Amino acid sequence: MEIVFLNALVNGILLGGVLALLAFGLNLIFGVVKVIHMAYGQCVMLGMYVIYTLKVIYGVPLLVASAVSVVIMGVWGTLLHLLVIRPLLGAERLNQLLALAGLIVVFENLAHVIWGADLRGVRVDLPIVSLGNVFLKTSNLLAFGGALVVLGILYGVLHKTYVGLAIRAVAQDRECATLMGINPGRIYLLTLTIGGALTGLIAAFFSPIYSVHPHFGGSFTLMAFIIVVLGGMGNLAGGFIGAFIIGVVTSFAAVITSTEVAEIVALTIFILVVLVRPQGLLGARRAR
Amino acid sequence: MKAVAKIILLGLVIGFPLVGVSPYLLHVATLIFIWAFIATGWSYMGRFGLVSLGHGAFIGIGAYTAGLLFNHFSLSPWAGMIVGGILAGVMALVIGWACFRFGVMGDYFALLTLALGEIVSLVLVAFRDYTGGSLGFTLKRVGSSWFYLQFEDKAYFYYIALSFLLAALFLWRCIDRSRMQKALRAIGEDEIAAATLGVRIVKYKLRVTIMSAFVAAIGGVLYAQYVTYLNPHTLAGVGPSLDIAFKAILGGMYSLWGPTVGTTIIVVLEEYIRVNYGAKYVGISQIAYGVALVLLIIFMPKGIFGTMEEKIRRVLSGRSRSRDPGQKH
Repeated sequence: MEIVFLNALVNGILLGGVLALLAFGLNLIFGVVKVIHMAYGQCVMLGMYVIYTLKVIYGVPLLVASAVSVVIMGVWGTLLHLLVIRPLLGAERLNQLLALAGLIVVFENLAHVIWGADLRGVRVDLPIVSLGNVFLKTSNLLAFGGALVVLGILYGVLHKTYVGLAIRAVAQDRECATLMGINPGRIYLLTLTIGGALTGLIAAFFSPIYSVHPHFGGSFTLMAFIIVVLGGMGNLAGGFIGAFIIGVVTSFAAVITSTEVAEIVALTIFILVVLVRPQGLLGARRAR
Repeated sequence: MKAVAKIILLGLVIGFPLVGVSPYLLHVATLIFIWAFIATGWSYMGRFGLVSLGHGAFIGIGAYTAGLLFNHFSLSPWAGMIVGGILAGVMALVIGWACFRFGVMGDYFALLTLALGEIVSLVLVAFRDYTGGSLGFTLKRVGSSWFYLQFEDKAYFYYIALSFLLAALFLWRCIDRSRMQKALRAIGEDEIAAATLGVRIVKYKLRVTIMSAFVAAIGGVLYAQYVTYLNPHTLAGVGPSLDIAFKAILGGMYSLWGPTVGTTIIVVLEEYIRVNYGAKYVGISQIAYGVALVLLIIFMPKGIFGTMEEKIRRVLSGRSRSRDPGQKH
């Protein structure tokens, strides 16, 4: 029995790595633009479809397809900002939430129309590695390692470059950032482009692991939310920790009971966090 | 003058099925009434800043409670409505108390209710041995019966749904004229100040939440009885929750008729797109629908009714200064 739990633990950690990327993207967008991107998981789904189309229909090698997906989803993020988020920057929060929730419907059905409702998988045969009694899929390991590398790079960009400084400045205090000569509009655009590119990257990591279907984004969007709130909305380090907590908890719950119950557990954690500590684990205490 | 217009309109609505219109139009009208009923109930909370994105939880609880009790114990759906409504009310009480006691507001409240709606949907799916899971279940047929709220002729449902809608609108007006409304407005403007003046925050918020949940649950039962089929994704979860919020907000959630107007427009839009374009590619209708919604939110943030109301008010106050701008909000 312990072997099962050990496997669940390890796989949960691997999952946590990729969820951390998802949380990073959401946190970045929320921290800078102050908008909750409700359709983030759906963007990952679209990225996966792009990879599928390129590889399976056009025979493009997986790595190239992944790179193209990152670029395309980056552009998608830019378009999203220009067409939907920018017009809504001054609107009520509720309207922003609803508009992005409406996008969930649009993206899922777009996928449905173009690619149909069947599962679309990128078939990649990667070996299964075993460390003692624990069995790990190489695809999961690659995703985990890749996610950590990307997170490290992004952290470096945010803290060691001028652009990163500008992004953090806008996230902290938009008006003062303007006084410092930073153009918030451009930073918003950049943030959404980076966020979009990230969804393409996450899609690249997910493609060898999961088969995509129009409702694939749903549970990941929800999962990403839970992590972001758990870690503290806008807090990147919190998102990182939260991702692993949720990854392990849901992995265990799924092994012990079922996938639905695992989601219920995750959602219940979410509700408890909102009730008891809405600023999350690492968030600063704010007036509610 | 206004009263005469209202009477004529009411007459038209009541006489509508009697002129021999097609069952399809009756169907669309009934759907509008049922969803407008639920949307109006949603707006009891929404207009005071308690935006719930999880009303699917209450709709689902109501529908499934009544439906299961009917299928297994032949309990009349009228009674099932009450039972489902009470259960939904209890859930609203528990969650509401937890939220309001801990000061969960605004975005966090919306997200929490979203999670709740999804939990109910997942629970319904998880207990698939009893509820049929994602495939849902069908109500057993008993032919036409008032006691079991099933009819072969759609006109009956038309009138029943219409009556419920009118009741919800009446309840809206009662709330609007009550002390609760003043208290909730004060809370909405400045909760802490209201608390210092002795306004019982938790009590009033809870009251309106429970009422809203009760109405939603009854609406769920109505819908289930009408289509005689229950499914956790159409009655609970993120889908219907967001749908109801859209309908109320797009119409204008601060006014009496707003949710009804919003529901009418959205249902008509959906049906129009589905009938004219749905057959070509499955899903195009939904894309058009989603895009239309996003555009509406961007360009008409106060909802259609709200935007129209403002325009009318501006025109009227431009013409004569002495005109009273009306008692709404």
